[in-house]
Amino acid sequence: MGKDKKMILAAKKTILAIDTSCDDTSVAVLEGNRVLANVVASQTAIHQQYGGVFPTLAKQAHQENIEACVQLALQRAGLSNKLKIRDHIDAVAVTVGPGLAPALEVGIKHAKKLAKQWQLPIIAINHIEAHALSPLLSPKTKRQNREIDFPVLALVISGGHSEFILIKQIGNYQRLGWTVDDSAGECLDKVGRMLDLGYPAGAILEKLAKKGNPNLWSLPLAMTSVDNFNLSFSGLKTASSQLINQVKKQKQLDGQTVCDLAATVQQQVFSQIIYKLERILFSPDLSKKVYPKAQLIKKIKQQKTKAAVTDINEIWLGGGVAANITLRTSIRQTLKTYQKLSGKKIKLHLPYHKKFCADNAAMIALTAQFSSEQSKNTNAQLIDRQANLKIGTFCQAC
Amino acid sequence: MAANPHDQQAINKLLKYKNRREGKPLSIAVSKQAMAEQYVIINQQAQNFYQRFLPGPYTVISQLRVNSQIDQRVASEFGTLGIRIPDYPLMLKLIEHLGHGITATSANASNKKRPYRIKDVLNNISEKQKQLIDLIIDVGQLAKNEPSVVIDTSLSTPLSMRGQLRTNDKFIEFNSQSESETQGLAMRLILKNLNNLKKQGLLFGLSGELGVGKTIFAKGAAKFLKIKEEITSPTYTYLNEYTYQKGTLQGIFYHLDAWKIDQEQEFSLLKVDQLLKANNILLIEWWDKIANFLPDNLKKQAIILDLSGQDNWRKIKLWEKTKK
Repeated sequence: MGKDKKMILAAKKTILAIDTSCDDTSVAVLEGNRVLANVVASQTAIHQQYGGVFPTLAKQAHQENIEACVQLALQRAGLSNKLKIRDHIDAVAVTVGPGLAPALEVGIKHAKKLAKQWQLPIIAINHIEAHALSPLLSPKTKRQNREIDFPVLALVISGGHSEFILIKQIGNYQRLGWTVDDSAGECLDKVGRMLDLGYPAGAILEKLAKKGNPNLWSLPLAMTSVDNFNLSFSGLKTASSQLINQVKKQKQLDGQTVCDLAATVQQQVFSQIIYKLERILFSPDLSKKVYPKAQLIKKIKQQKTKAAVTDINEIWLGGGVAANITLRTSIRQTLKTYQKLSGKKIKLHLPYHKKFCADNAAMIALTAQFSSEQSKNTNAQLIDRQANLKIGTFCQAC
Repeated sequence: MAANPHDQQAINKLLKYKNRREGKPLSIAVSKQAMAEQYVIINQQAQNFYQRFLPGPYTVISQLRVNSQIDQRVASEFGTLGIRIPDYPLMLKLIEHLGHGITATSANASNKKRPYRIKDVLNNISEKQKQLIDLIIDVGQLAKNEPSVVIDTSLSTPLSMRGQLRTNDKFIEFNSQSESETQGLAMRLILKNLNNLKKQGLLFGLSGELGVGKTIFAKGAAKFLKIKEEITSPTYTYLNEYTYQKGTLQGIFYHLDAWKIDQEQEFSLLKVDQLLKANNILLIEWWDKIANFLPDNLKKQAIILDLSGQDNWRKIKLWEKTKK
């Protein structure tokens, strides 16, 4: 690997960031990639009674919590009694999308207010990009930075998103695949709801799945016949609902049966992600989007054909579902198999703590470290919410 | 307003004349069915309408032929084309003489009153528009006929796009073989209700079990509105919003999933009554769960679809006036 492919995290700016993309209010302060403070005000208690996130309620809670979160973050970063914040912080960063429009609005408005008050530039950040980069976060105590071996494949799997992103350099992204309907998290949440698991159903489903047998029933594996790296969980959602109804007819849904169903559905969600991950790894040319056929993969696995060696040197996993141990184990297993067949070792990198898998402002501040001087927007008026922002298609304000 | 559909320059002029159409397709007048068949594929449904109603004040929409050799801008964005066979000797003779169809759109400028004599037209158009007209045939005062009834026969069941087909059915039923029929229906229903959309917004209510194509329908609506983002199911957060721009038309497409909503108090948190206004579209999945929580005025304007089916077939029932 040439030296040009490596990049040392040299950025050392101090940035305060805000994320209000969904149901958690978060404010963080980072110096470089070191997390000085990361405050999260959870709204779980508010949304629990309904079993989902109402945009209007989320907005209200964000409005009530945001200033307290800023104060607490400044305090934890040791900045609360500084007279001139401007001397200690270089910029304010904020999530502009994707997310819930009314929720995003609160964070953006507050970030603009702070930037004006402290006379600091404001940086608009894409939430998915931030999830993709979240494995680069490092604890306050850690001083040594590692090198990155590009290109990197980032998997962002969360309640709202399921994406494969090829990171050629920070800021240079190619979306290889994404979900065409429901995200993985959404599917798990919906099935959790069908099983009356409460809120947040997805997280509870994960716990129950650990005690279940995933092999009692079979569910169809979607998207195997299409030539792309996209995901689809809508069919699985339907098949799961039919399976649950069918099982309900046969017997009482006792504790063990619920666990078995949870395990079955979860395994199927992850199987699809792994299936597409394998295809990406075995693709002879990602820039031309060459999709290896199932038969080729079969031959490679039988060691009848040699696997093409991918350019990808690292895999980063981010997003709420990234905290799932079963998913992590499956990915590691896939990489081990790939190494056996191709001779290439690819390392899996995760956020250093589970809390950075969920929505957080630390990853927003981290992403802002890489934004160029030009993208810092002193004309804050231009920054607006972009609820359905994608990675690669960048915000107008940047 | 007649123009040669095979002539790009003529169509340029026509489209300039009829500006701000926002995707409303043109139609073509022919003299007989054989001529229509050069432009479109006439299926059994269409055949029935040709036999019963043409010549006469009906426009029958069919799938455009690939080799029709007309300017593509005459056809709809779904690859269909409306055909008329007028019941007016002068027109028929003119078409016969030319040997090809001519466009059959009305001469009024968009959003202006329906003209029944040449003066009505000339009084309502600009100098620039006047200069685009090459020839005026003045036959005096016309009979005050309604505009033609427009019937789309390109889906599994005929759908009237303008005017009413005389029928006693409370709903019409589509048998969808593919996602494209479900999406096509969504697109046609917005096109059909474009005037309502501009005036007060559109409300769609979809019911049906998981996996019958409700989100597919939403995707069709988004496609018509030229929304580029992927439309995903908003179960977790109830309501997604997408801003759209289609030609000069712009507004917000709201996609609401009521699957998890059981109580009126929950539904009221969404403040749905504030979402529906001119140029906005609100599409509600699991309509049957929340219909009773809606104020009557909203319920009345809803276009309601009931989807069912499994594997490769889907049945879609459509109520254009509120279901009881």
